Amino acid sequence: MNLDPTGAPTAELKVIGKRLARVDARERVTGQAIYPADLKLPGMVHAKILRSPLAHARIRGIDSTRAQAIKGVLAVVTAADFPALPVGSTIPMGETGYDMWMVAAINMARDKVHWVGQPVAAVAAVDVHTAAAALALIAVDYEPLEPVLGILAAMAPEAPVLHEHVFTKGIEPRPRAASNVCSRVVISRGDASAALQEAHASARVRVEVDTAHQGYLEPQVAMAQVDANGFATVWASTQGQFTAELMIARMLGLPASKLKVVPLEIGGGFGGKIAIHGEAVAVRLAQKCQRPVKLVLTREEVLQGGSGPAAGALIDIAVAAQKDGGLRAIEGTYRMDAGGLPGMSPSLLMQASAALYQCPNLSLEGYDVVTNKPRTEAYRGPGGIQAAFAVEQAMDMLCQKLGMDPLEFRKRNASVTGSLMPIGTPFPAIGLDTILEAVGRHPCWTEPLAPGAFPRGRGLALGYWRGTSMTSAAHITIAGDGRPMVTMGAVDLSGTRSTMAQVVAEEFGLAIEDVHVQTGDSKSVGYSDGAAGSRVARTMTAALVEACADALRQLRMRAAEKLQSAPELLHYADAVFRAPQPSGAAISLAELMQATLTDGAVVGRGVSSKLPLGVEIGAHVCDVEVDTDSGLVTVLRYTAFQDVGLALNPIAVEGQIEGSVVQGLGWALLEGFDYGPDGRLRNASLLDYRMPTALDVPRIESVIVETPVPNVPYGVRGVGEVPIVPPAAAVANAIARAVGVRVCRMPMTPERVLAAIRAVQAGPT
Amino acid sequence: MKTLLSCTINAEAHTVLVDARDTLLDLVREGLGLTGSKEGCGNGNCGTCTVLLDGAAVNACLVLALEVAGREVVTIEGVARAGELHPIQSALVETGGTQCGFCTPGIVLAAKALLDTNADPSEQDIRQAIAGNLCRCTGYGKIVDAIATAAARLRETAT
Repeated sequence: MNLDPTGAPTAELKVIGKRLARVDARERVTGQAIYPADLKLPGMVHAKILRSPLAHARIRGIDSTRAQAIKGVLAVVTAADFPALPVGSTIPMGETGYDMWMVAAINMARDKVHWVGQPVAAVAAVDVHTAAAALALIAVDYEPLEPVLGILAAMAPEAPVLHEHVFTKGIEPRPRAASNVCSRVVISRGDASAALQEAHASARVRVEVDTAHQGYLEPQVAMAQVDANGFATVWASTQGQFTAELMIARMLGLPASKLKVVPLEIGGGFGGKIAIHGEAVAVRLAQKCQRPVKLVLTREEVLQGGSGPAAGALIDIAVAAQKDGGLRAIEGTYRMDAGGLPGMSPSLLMQASAALYQCPNLSLEGYDVVTNKPRTEAYRGPGGIQAAFAVEQAMDMLCQKLGMDPLEFRKRNASVTGSLMPIGTPFPAIGLDTILEAVGRHPCWTEPLAPGAFPRGRGLALGYWRGTSMTSAAHITIAGDGRPMVTMGAVDLSGTRSTMAQVVAEEFGLAIEDVHVQTGDSKSVGYSDGAAGSRVARTMTAALVEACADALRQLRMRAAEKLQSAPELLHYADAVFRAPQPSGAAISLAELMQATLTDGAVVGRGVSSKLPLGVEIGAHVCDVEVDTDSGLVTVLRYTAFQDVGLALNPIAVEGQIEGSVVQGLGWALLEGFDYGPDGRLRNASLLDYRMPTALDVPRIESVIVETPVPNVPYGVRGVGEVPIVPPAAAVANAIARAVGVRVCRMPMTPERVLAAIRAVQAGPT
Repeated sequence: MKTLLSCTINAEAHTVLVDARDTLLDLVREGLGLTGSKEGCGNGNCGTCTVLLDGAAVNACLVLALEVAGREVVTIEGVARAGELHPIQSALVETGGTQCGFCTPGIVLAAKALLDTNADPSEQDIRQAIAGNLCRCTGYGKIVDAIATAAARLRETAT
């Protein structure tokens, strides 16, 4: 491929950038696509997991003798059936890896339970009814402990400590007492506190974000089979077959030569299917009973502690500006509710809250806090929506104090290429200014709001997500008819097979129909990190550009021999090698492979690691109507502007943006976990945990801006994560413009909106 | 206790042995291997198991298998005829109305139930018809577009 110094492709693209249907769409619309729950193996039995009814307790003992005595029960496992993994026993995954002590605790509690729904035992039986009956006969002797549920309660010095070995990281000297604060992160620049004092105007807000769930429609499923040689195969719904394999192997003490993970179609993941949730348990049961074991979580299990929701947060933020609107300071305290095990570093969330503004004074302090609720996991741009809900409301309040148009304020302060990121390094090429110009020209911003039955308002919010790169590998074998067959190490979450077929078709000068792309299992392709962090399309493109070049280099050598020419003199285009004049002889890839089949395979290999980041930036504009009698907020119009670098396939890009925005609107208005005082989730069904239906959201319009990332093939950016970041803030800002109140808790349910309106009507108390 | 019952599934007559506890979803998925109908929640809240029962869209997880004796069921496997996609299916393919695909079979059948009775639905009619079918990937816009496109094509072929 051709790259100019800005990363933009110079040659005209024939396949990339086209609005093509997904290559796997037909099997989806006909019901032929195979998900793990669809598998059935001869002799298969069924597993069920016994889960903790208590949020915090010590396990004194587990007696499963009565369960084992039931006819049809084939195996029972508890933590005693797995090696105890020490704290700090990590496996690689991205920048920080995974601590296997925590992965093990998600899959089977040992000695203590830290949330309702944490697994404590599992059963394999001839059918699900028998397995369920057996669970009821397992006697677990718990010593109940006081549950710690709120973030502030968990941070209090007198709070019961969840983990005796957790000492707050990021404090010098190392604390002497264990704490529920797992880590503290500080990002600072200049003197924010002085700047806040001196500034012309300032705004402060405290926001609270309830825990929400990724809401993938397919519950977790694992099918495990162990053959006579002890080789285990796991068919899973996973975002990463290699990460899953490493986790299962470590939990069971299995060598890599005895385990294979086969990823099938995945019915949504959004971050929640990176870690394993029962796969290793299914393998252990299969080893014990010597039958294939199928484990299918119920929806209630998925919601009630069987899988990680997204972190809640409590954030205080203050911002200040001079009279002309120049931003002077951002000061923030970020407390993340990780649930029952240490969570992600607050750093990404803190960066997300400050990256888009040029601001000389920053003082950001973040805490990762454990509470007796399900261990949280990643959810699409993890931390981003929480950050934006705080900072973008604070900026909007500042605009109101300054009497400044919120778009003009953003233009005045927007980060540009070369601006310092919060961590102190300069931004590579970014297109925030282009996005803001596009907003200013668009009817969603220029057209006045039509009056309605109730007050209406328009909100603007920005979003930032850093994303990640990590490792992607792929190889291409050339079929006997010259067509490229691609095996990639990434699971297809977002149409990857289609976009990667486009990349390979482009590189070879073929049509998309000539390319076959499959996801490899953990034994058939090189190590790749999981499909997460908006990384796959970018890094797999880079890996495949390399693999195509490798394959074409080998093909060129063969063609040179056939055409009696020096390889470097051959011209390649549209699947034909041509010798220079006067000979001008030509050979197609099909003819070449036919003629050289017995020379051995042509296999092109490619890997991408440490690709430059493809930071994601978006600006969203939202119109709402607020029913002041009921508090119901209706989103009337929604437009999302996003810089995607280059859209490999605009249909796929729009699909990512629209879906991500609607997830954000769901969390903004409807979705929140409602925990009782005992730590039990009170809305553990899809009726009570309300995700948006087709009636709850308007048509989402996406406006694509393309600022290529330098030194990245085709200049592609991440796409899928950042559109979930601004929606809650955009809605909150629209509500504020409509009815003059700030609703500072997500989700902004009718009850909370009405309470905020009534509080303002009642006046200061 | 198991009971023998006869019903029509995807235009084929079936006589099957069902457990009293089995749902229609268990019957099609486990009994007949028609795994296109999905189980996202098992209690009627997500719509991924939507099938047509005597032409009406129902959640198969809420219907007992015993209730379908003598009745006619259409699952996603019965929508495309001889490999030719129904206009709803081809429109979903073209517009990008399917992503992870887990909700797609249910959406196709909910949309079919609508278009079988309403040839010219408004956008609101379409949204109402699929309101019982959660989709977590698409944000619904492209699904609504696909159903509208399919309705228009069906009207053209009908005239």
